[in-house]
Amino acid sequence: MPGQTVGLGGMSTFNMQHGFVEALVRGFRSGFLQDESYHHLSQCDTLEDMKLNLQETDYGQSIQNDAAISPPLLEQRALQKMVTEFFYLRAQAVEPLATFLDYITYEYMIENIMLLLRGTISGRSANDLLAQCHPLGIFSESTMRQIPGFDASPRGYSDLYETVLVDTPVGVYFQRYIDTQAKTKITVASDVRGVLEEVQLEILKHSIMKLYLEDFYAFCVSLGGETAEIMGGLLRARADRNAINITLNSFNTPLNEPAMRDNYRKNLYPSFGDMYPEGTELLQRADDEAKLAQALQPFAIYRPIAERFSHTGGAHDDFSVDDEFYRHEVKLYELAFESQMHFGCFYAYVKLKEQEIRNLVWISECILQRRKDQIGKYVPIFSKADNRPGAGKGGH
Amino acid sequence: MSTYDCTTYYCNNGWNEVISHLSPYSWANWGIAIGLGFSVVGAAWGIWLTGASLVGAAVKAPRIRSKNLVSVIFCEATAIYGVILAIILLNKVASPKDVSYNFSSNWPWANFYFAGYSVFFSGCSVGFTNIASGISVGIAGSACALGDAQDSSLFVKILIVEIFASALGIFGIIVGIIQSNNAMFPTQ
Repeated sequence: MPGQTVGLGGMSTFNMQHGFVEALVRGFRSGFLQDESYHHLSQCDTLEDMKLNLQETDYGQSIQNDAAISPPLLEQRALQKMVTEFFYLRAQAVEPLATFLDYITYEYMIENIMLLLRGTISGRSANDLLAQCHPLGIFSESTMRQIPGFDASPRGYSDLYETVLVDTPVGVYFQRYIDTQAKTKITVASDVRGVLEEVQLEILKHSIMKLYLEDFYAFCVSLGGETAEIMGGLLRARADRNAINITLNSFNTPLNEPAMRDNYRKNLYPSFGDMYPEGTELLQRADDEAKLAQALQPFAIYRPIAERFSHTGGAHDDFSVDDEFYRHEVKLYELAFESQMHFGCFYAYVKLKEQEIRNLVWISECILQRRKDQIGKYVPIFSKADNRPGAGKGGH
Repeated sequence: MSTYDCTTYYCNNGWNEVISHLSPYSWANWGIAIGLGFSVVGAAWGIWLTGASLVGAAVKAPRIRSKNLVSVIFCEATAIYGVILAIILLNKVASPKDVSYNFSSNWPWANFYFAGYSVFFSGCSVGFTNIASGISVGIAGSACALGDAQDSSLFVKILIVEIFASALGIFGIIVGIIQSNNAMFPTQ
């Protein structure tokens, strides 16, 4: 019957609706760069060598028309390849997988909107900003063009409300945010101006991301079965990472003051996650790195990160908390591919491809700037080197 | 409950009478339908499960196309078991030689009823085992296709899992044939 949709399905019914798309994404999994490819790339001395080596990998098709590659161009081509693959999956997907894949893109839409708002306020041109937008998060072109076009007048803000907050798929998060900020429900667009002006864009972005993550988590849990289990774990790890990053980035900023911590920073932590609620309570009170490390101590998963904090103290030469989180998350995402018949592998695929693009950019930057000693700092994906569960022969 | 006391020959006083008055021809033909129908449902379900994964995995790894059709063939085999048993069973069902309103006075009722029940439950044996076997082969075949696409040495190992799964269907047809061996519909 047209319009009738089948649910997620357990082991015996999942393949009926989603078997083809899941098999596609597992085919894409074999397109990840292998240990040997990373080894060859690390040995390259010039970017031309790197291009030659990349032509034998899955990226060969993407870069064959370019005379020479540079890190930004490489990033753009790799990203375009990932986006093409993602939209191929999205085209073949039916509900509820289609909604799930849409949720993955909402994160990039939020980032794009923030980029457009920030860029407009600092006075950059609309075309520049649109070229910089993440391709996964592109909604209708006309709506996107209208965002840089708004001006900081009452009429402009009400226009912004009507285009951004209503037409975009992520408009509901802006709506909810404005509702929580104003004590009464806003029906007049001019009230929106008051809220959007006072709030700094960073806090706005973190708040919208928090609402998005909570919505995504609720959706995954409502799907039930193995998807709820695996995606729940991945999103909880994501929420914890956001909470820790917000805390870390707020040191040495006005947000670290006790009054600001209680009113503003507390509301930025997502209301789910392995660290919620006791851990986020401790994080909220942390105002320097020692206290942050102390807050992470009770959680066995984050203890290695906390220990790195207390050992390196103030200097962070060869340690970046982002790198540690990337390493931790790559392990989790590899595990999402381990079992069949759930949606976790789609989310993991997008995130791992992002990591691979970061790896490629890192390697190409190291080659370009002749810092070969730093080249080993990429995070290998599906590596056979360790005894990790995700390690195994891949590719053909 | 009815307030009239039924006194004719054709009343059904309780379930016992209802069930025992069902014609053995009806039992037998239901059995054939169940045996064939559920076997085919199991096979179709299995092919649906494994075919979707096979087609998707072959997009990036075209070499798996021909080898993994074996999974589809295993699923098909469960449908063939159903057809074989259905043909065996329907050859046992025979209508009486004299077409008349009443059976003859020395009609062998015991054989008649035995044949009916025997064919019905033999069909059930095959039908229910094959639906389980078909789904099981389908899920294993889907995993086989995906594993083969990543690493071709996995194919033979997972095929052994599928062989055990399709053995379940063989159990069904063996028991079904033995069950219906002595069934013989009387003709006079």
